[in-house]
Amino acid sequence: MKKYQLGEFEEIVILTIGILNNEAYSVSIKDEIESRLSRTVSMGALHTALKRLEDKGYLKSYAGESSDERAGRPKRYFEITAMGKKAMLHAKETREELWRAIPKTIFQINLEG
Amino acid sequence: MRKDSIQSPPRLFMRFFRWYCHPEMQDYIEGDLLEVYERRIKKSGKRKADILFIIDVLLLFRPGIIRPAEVYIHVNNYTMFRSYFKIGWRNLARNKAYSIINIAGLALSMTCGILIFTFVTHHLSFDNFHQDSNRIYRIVTELHRDVVAYRNCVPSPLGESFRSDYTFGEKVARIYTERDVLITLKEKDKVLKYNETDGLAFTEKTFFEIFNFPLLKGDQRSVLVDPNTAVITETIARKYFGDEDPIGKTFWLGNKFPFTVTGILKDFPENTDLKAGIFVSYITLKSYDPWLANETDGWGGIRDGMQCYTRLQPNVSIAQVESVMPAYVKKHRPTSKNVHHYKLQPLKDIHFDARYGGAMEKQKLYILSIVGLFLIATACVNFVNLATAQALKRSKEVGVRKVLGSLRRQLFWQFIFETAIICAIGIVMAIGLASLILPYANSLFNMHMTLNPFTDYMLIYFIVSLGVVVTFLAGYYPALVLAKFQPVTALKGKVTQQNVGGFNVRRTLIVSQFAISQVLIIGVIVVVSQIRFARESDLGFDQQAIVMIGTGNDATPTSKEALKNEISRIRGVESVSLCFTAPASVDEWGNSIKFNNSSEEVNFRTSIKSADAEYASTFGLEFVAGRNLTPSDTVREMLVNEAMVRKLELESPEDAIGKVIVANGGHMVASIVGVLKDFHDRSFHEEISPILITTYTDDYENYAVKLNLSDAKSTLSAIEGVWSQQHPDQIFGYEFLDDSIAQFYESEETMLKLIQTFSLISIFIGCLGLYGLVSFTVTQKSKEIGIRKILGSSAGNILWIFWKEFAGLILIAFLIAGPLGWWLMRAWLQSFKFQVEISVWFFALAIGCSLLVALFTVSYQVMKAAFANPVKSLRME
Repeated sequence: MKKYQLGEFEEIVILTIGILNNEAYSVSIKDEIESRLSRTVSMGALHTALKRLEDKGYLKSYAGESSDERAGRPKRYFEITAMGKKAMLHAKETREELWRAIPKTIFQINLEG
Repeated sequence: MRKDSIQSPPRLFMRFFRWYCHPEMQDYIEGDLLEVYERRIKKSGKRKADILFIIDVLLLFRPGIIRPAEVYIHVNNYTMFRSYFKIGWRNLARNKAYSIINIAGLALSMTCGILIFTFVTHHLSFDNFHQDSNRIYRIVTELHRDVVAYRNCVPSPLGESFRSDYTFGEKVARIYTERDVLITLKEKDKVLKYNETDGLAFTEKTFFEIFNFPLLKGDQRSVLVDPNTAVITETIARKYFGDEDPIGKTFWLGNKFPFTVTGILKDFPENTDLKAGIFVSYITLKSYDPWLANETDGWGGIRDGMQCYTRLQPNVSIAQVESVMPAYVKKHRPTSKNVHHYKLQPLKDIHFDARYGGAMEKQKLYILSIVGLFLIATACVNFVNLATAQALKRSKEVGVRKVLGSLRRQLFWQFIFETAIICAIGIVMAIGLASLILPYANSLFNMHMTLNPFTDYMLIYFIVSLGVVVTFLAGYYPALVLAKFQPVTALKGKVTQQNVGGFNVRRTLIVSQFAISQVLIIGVIVVVSQIRFARESDLGFDQQAIVMIGTGNDATPTSKEALKNEISRIRGVESVSLCFTAPASVDEWGNSIKFNNSSEEVNFRTSIKSADAEYASTFGLEFVAGRNLTPSDTVREMLVNEAMVRKLELESPEDAIGKVIVANGGHMVASIVGVLKDFHDRSFHEEISPILITTYTDDYENYAVKLNLSDAKSTLSAIEGVWSQQHPDQIFGYEFLDDSIAQFYESEETMLKLIQTFSLISIFIGCLGLYGLVSFTVTQKSKEIGIRKILGSSAGNILWIFWKEFAGLILIAFLIAGPLGWWLMRAWLQSFKFQVEISVWFFALAIGCSLLVALFTVSYQVMKAAFANPVKSLRME
């Protein structure tokens, strides 16, 4: 179903936002991904992904407080919308469906071989 | 941030980020960047943080984050431009005088610009249409004697030797052009005679393989191979044979040599230096001029018109070719003191190198372009001047616009747009004017330039860029001034002259304008005086009432003598002399002589003027020693001039008498019987050459006839009568000597006409500006004038106040123009060996002229104000 399209990186981002719950803003998302998945995330890639997710309606954002360490710039917090949750579930289900469809033998052969 | 100065990320990249980032996201992302940056500084230091910051910024530069191109300006610009246009137009219409002055000035100067551009590009395009033109060269000669002379021709055998001895030349072509030839067509019962001033060229076939002059009819491989065959251009074919097929037709050269037409050439484009229209096979030269065609004797000297072109093989350098040339000199001219150096002249230089007879020096094109730029600058200056003066009137408009939300940038563009309207009108007028003037320019320069602003891409580019440049040059400063007004002061009407780009700016501009026109005036005065000096100085011989008549090319020494006697019997003829040329002439016969039984040639060039015993008396030449020649039909006696005596390093003219001179390669041996006072044998550009006069009858080409001017017309027709009887199939031609001497200064005359025009235009534009400015100041000061009048000052006093101001400016302009003009004109005079003295009067005249014109301009406006009733100006408040 085209409706709930999620790219690989987008999926990671939206999952991380879920993990962070109410503390999800760009830098914290970046840190979380980097620490959990041990891969570097460029600011550019992250912001593009966030923007795309927001455009698709999976995320909504609100401006947070501005802090001294950000030279007075506000943070922008993200939360997952209902549609976003559906998309996540959809992604998960499709994966699992696919997993289930893989014959068990593949893994056995691999283990023996 | 408090620690801002140390801890801020690289500014340049921050600015770059702010520039490209989508405004909606900018704050958040910038916050992120700064937060991460801060953290990184703590972790790994500023240096590393900086680098990572830069990488972040660069990685952020991607779609989705970059701001969309002008997504906000969905405003309809059309209405705004329409408003600009409307306001601009209303302003033009309201200030008619101001608009007319501006448009006229711009149009005039741009007309000059367009014409100069056409002229310059026309010249730069000369002979640019040949294939591999960067490999085409003309072989030219430097003649090293006591001075170096430059000739565009070579000894006739050089081409053939170069072709057969070396493989450098892919193609080598010789061409010998004979100018002013008589061509006759013999039809059933009558003979048609044509004098072809552009001449006829004996041409090797290879010439048309080097140059791109295509053949319309005839076989490229076989034309110009056989003797007595010819190819002619379309124009010549039409002239001779009308609509008939010219192939196979015959014409005669000098009534003696028949030629059959075997090919027709497409007419040459305007931008080539090749002017001849008749080309005959080179091999025919053998019968026409055996000396020239001879492959060994021809090394003896060089004949004008004998040229050699070559297209070199690729990868052959000029130096390579020039290094083999001295061998020819060694082999064929071992003893001559007239040492030839053969050089290669690239095709692209031929039109521009005046030493080798190039028609237009590059330097002149530069000067012309600079003058054009000056004129355009002057008009722009005018515009700036008037616009800033007018700016005050529009301060309220600016105030209102600003209050309603116009940005400075928008106002700036509004005024630029207005300038563009004026400029566009100017350009349209300029194109019109230029096409009207072009025919006159063409006849002045004897050219055929065309002006087609719709198809000529170069011209279109030029006109468009001219428009843009002028708009900005003229509009930039006023627009800046106008856009800068503070709305509050503007609306309260408190903007004063001081706010409007001080008066000093405009003073400077006026000064520079007048400096330019004064330089031009000085130029005109110097050129006029030099030409007058050259024309009216005593040349050392009579030039009035003397007419030179050609002998006709079928005349023999005896027939010439007979005709001379017949002419001298005609009433109104005072005396007749048979001679080669007049004392001053462009035609010359240069020679190396041996003096006083010496076996070595002298190291200077001698000009031999063959003439009979009546020469000295006809031209009123004066003797300083010895006596005149005795009549003779062989070379028995010689006359020399003082210059010759000096060059031979003799102590006095008397010493020369009786000494023997050997000239013309040993064919002339005679002793000197008299020494003539120096006369100018060439233009004032050149020194007086050493001259030898002797009775060498083979070389007589003219009858110099001194007329009694009271009835010159009937005398001339009587001469024509006897001449035509003698030469029925020739064309009678004559020229007054003073006319042909005037032709020495043809290019100076052209130049004079040019600067005259330009200085008039520049003065005119300058005055327009002055007029506009004065009328504005007068309105500004109308109250002051009124008060002054009430307090008892006369019109004269008021006039004086204004005069003082502008006369001062003109004097300052003169301080710049005077030295500049002096320096420029001294450089120009360097080309003359005999120069007029630059006197104080020239400068006095220049400043006097500009003062007079300027004061006149100022007075008209000021008088109007000064004579007005003061009540009128004072009662209004």
